[in-house]
Amino acid sequence: MIVSNTTSAERGIRSSALTRSTEPATDTVRAARKGRARTSPLGLVMLAPALALLVAFFFAPVVLTTIFSFTNMTSATGISGGAYVITPNLLRDLEWQGMAPEAAQSLSGETISVDEAALERAAAAGVDPDFLEEIEDELLGDEFDDARSFERELKTLPSRPRRVRDLKLAAEPFSQSILNTRFATRDEAATAIASIAPDLSAEDRNTVLSAAYTGWVWTTDNFERLATTPETARLITNTALYVGFTLSLFNVGLGLFLAIAIFYMPKTSGTIFSVLWLLPRITPVVLYTVMWKWFTWDDGFLPVVAENLGLPAFNYMKGSVPTAWATIVSLNGFIGASFGMILFSGALRAIPQQQLWASEVDGASRWQQVRRIILPQLRWPILFVTCYQSLSLLSSYEQIWLTTNGGPGNTTNVWALEAFRVALSNYTGNLQYGYGAAMALVLVVAGLALSIIFLRLFRFNELVEKPKIEF
Amino acid sequence: MTILAKALRSTAALAIVAAASGAAFAEEYTITVWSGGTGDDSHYRVDAIEMAADLLEREAAVRGEELDITVEKQVWSGWDDFKQAVTLAAESGTAPNIIVSGHEDIGPWSQAGILRPIEDYVDFDAWPLNQLYDNLVDVSSYDGLIWGVPQDAESRPFFMSKAHLAEIGYSEDEIDALPGKIQSGEYTLYDMLDDVKTMQDEGVVEAGMGFAPRVNNGTDYWQFYQSFGGEMVDEETGKLVFDKQALTDMYQFFADAVEMGVTPATYLGGDWDVWHGNVAADAYGAWHGGTWHKSQWERQFGVDDFFGQMTFSLIPAGNENGEANTITHPLVYLISTTGSDDEAAISAELVAIASEPRINSLHAVESGHLAIGSAQADVPLYANDRWTTEATEQLLPYANPIPNNADFGIFWDAMYQGLEAAWTGTSSVEDAVNQAQSAVESGLGDGIIIR
Repeated sequence: MIVSNTTSAERGIRSSALTRSTEPATDTVRAARKGRARTSPLGLVMLAPALALLVAFFFAPVVLTTIFSFTNMTSATGISGGAYVITPNLLRDLEWQGMAPEAAQSLSGETISVDEAALERAAAAGVDPDFLEEIEDELLGDEFDDARSFERELKTLPSRPRRVRDLKLAAEPFSQSILNTRFATRDEAATAIASIAPDLSAEDRNTVLSAAYTGWVWTTDNFERLATTPETARLITNTALYVGFTLSLFNVGLGLFLAIAIFYMPKTSGTIFSVLWLLPRITPVVLYTVMWKWFTWDDGFLPVVAENLGLPAFNYMKGSVPTAWATIVSLNGFIGASFGMILFSGALRAIPQQQLWASEVDGASRWQQVRRIILPQLRWPILFVTCYQSLSLLSSYEQIWLTTNGGPGNTTNVWALEAFRVALSNYTGNLQYGYGAAMALVLVVAGLALSIIFLRLFRFNELVEKPKIEF
Repeated sequence: MTILAKALRSTAALAIVAAASGAAFAEEYTITVWSGGTGDDSHYRVDAIEMAADLLEREAAVRGEELDITVEKQVWSGWDDFKQAVTLAAESGTAPNIIVSGHEDIGPWSQAGILRPIEDYVDFDAWPLNQLYDNLVDVSSYDGLIWGVPQDAESRPFFMSKAHLAEIGYSEDEIDALPGKIQSGEYTLYDMLDDVKTMQDEGVVEAGMGFAPRVNNGTDYWQFYQSFGGEMVDEETGKLVFDKQALTDMYQFFADAVEMGVTPATYLGGDWDVWHGNVAADAYGAWHGGTWHKSQWERQFGVDDFFGQMTFSLIPAGNENGEANTITHPLVYLISTTGSDDEAAISAELVAIASEPRINSLHAVESGHLAIGSAQADVPLYANDRWTTEATEQLLPYANPIPNNADFGIFWDAMYQGLEAAWTGTSSVEDAVNQAQSAVESGLGDGIIIR
């Protein structure tokens, strides 16, 4: 009994242990009898690749999503961290928020003075001595309001660098402005502020430093925003409708119908029929969606047929809300139906034929056979398909994205598609990684919660417990 | 032998080998350029950089220097994928040296540290950058720095079918006078709705084909916000402005168009090729597009008498609060922080050369875009093209850009989502405006003025 219930991994451990000596194997059996855990370093080694994959492709993304979701990360803040930049716009905003104009202006000083100190800085920065000499002769003691007017003067000097970039680099040491300079750390920025505006109060300095940070900060705003925006309710409703319809009509409903139809068909035609239904699943998703476009587009197959029959003919994919919904549900459903079909077909073959023969002897119709014999014995596969496919539909968006793209007018948008758009793909390029991650995290939590509910509801423990009788 | 002596010997040996081969003085650069929203007609956005590289190499050769530049080009036809590619590549330190994108990206991308200000590398007082239109240079500036060089300019005109206007009783003179009436505010968006409704009622155009706006999200929709008196940015404070009344009127206009049956409720999200095909077949009464669409209609969709088939004008005013207007959405050449300072300097020089009037005119005329600088009026290719000249004179003086503001994307997303909701009827106009307002308030807080 023990042998029949060990997993393949455990069998692997034992067979390799047996090659070394029979002693440890006996120990293992004994340990198992006593109810102690049977572990071996080799087992861990064999599990390691699976664990590594699990960490890389499940735990790490979930952990990162969780971290991102508590930040205000966008394409403007960047992901890898920010810098401290004092810009004219920032100073104007601070003034607008109540900072004293003198304080703000003390930071905006852009005056360029050609004095001994500046010339020394330029010499230290490696500016050509001949050029420096000319600057000293021509411009010593001059002041300029901005870098551009200073550079214009430099351009009149004979020994100026010929490359524009070199001229700009030569002009840099003369400016002491801190505007638009990217300081890597808060301390560097604080030092620079202290040098240019020594009289700035500590409070003002901290305000400026906090506002000058370009990177992301921790926040719970994403979840507050999700909880308060009306869009959330619409996305939840759409997602529930999408998952509900696709699952009930196609993944389970059609899958079941196909499996039973094939079950009653002659074997050869049944096989051909089931292979045909596998086509949507094995066709590459982009090709499959393009085919749906041909099928439903203005001059596509369906509208042309409808026109000939005198029915309303238009772009079914995007032309009306009900047909757009019918399109996304059926195109996803036809992919999912084959999954149910295969599982149900397998389960159907496990039903003892004798039961069907006996029912026929008793005069049962096909429908009675399905209702009284087949369906009750397909309970587990149906529950499994419901559970598995609802989780997979919940996170699927690619077929919708490639067809209706949430349209017409955002009416077929679902949670996963919106999360993808918000975080990674939208027309304005305003990628809100933090908000998108919060949406994705909600999806992960909803998925986990659903899994637990399904496991409880369908009494998964009973499904996997040891058989009551030995085979 | 000491380590120092070894190092000296090997350095000397290397120097001799390099000198013997002559390769020591050859500077080699590989410059990558990526461009978004670029189709078959606008390949000069990246090809101009290649032409510039050739010129720069020749200039170097004349000076007796050896310069070898390899330009690697990549274009995207849309914007979503392109902007995703640029931002993610920048995060991983592999962004292209030159990025061709909308000017509105300067705000967020400069904040993120993806860009170098191009004014640090080129001279805007020297040819050819000194002849660029000042307003386009302003559009390429942000936070007191010039970040990019304008790559093209355009405007987004309003079109009406001359044949269909004549069929509902407009005389030829009245049709010719229409752009002027639109400009003065005498002919409004609602007059247009009445006219296209008449076209439908009289069977001149099919039901639902009266008014065909842009099929998806785009700068164009801000024009309608302006038509109803909306301002995108407050000039005094530089803050974004959410004008509730203008947005309500704008949403109401599209809801009314749907209500009148001149545009379908499910219109948004349609297919561009179908739209172009209908324009070319003169199936619409009124529509709006971009100056560059003309070349697409002629080259790909068989329009052979553009000026005879349609009138073009500013976008009409919506009501007494707004004015006729059009938006220009220049693309800009931006220099990324990827690579060395030398690579950035070479990239910026290539951008400057690519902005030569003659080179830029190739792009402008082929793709139906407008000039970036005054000198292009003297380039025969540009000056002799009727469309670019007329559009430059009649539309460009009234064109304004969308703001360079790191937060504008949030406002834009909210505006378009609200428009979709009101248009499809999934929300009332009032709810759609409130929804947009709550989205900008939660996303931007004090960063936007609600009026």
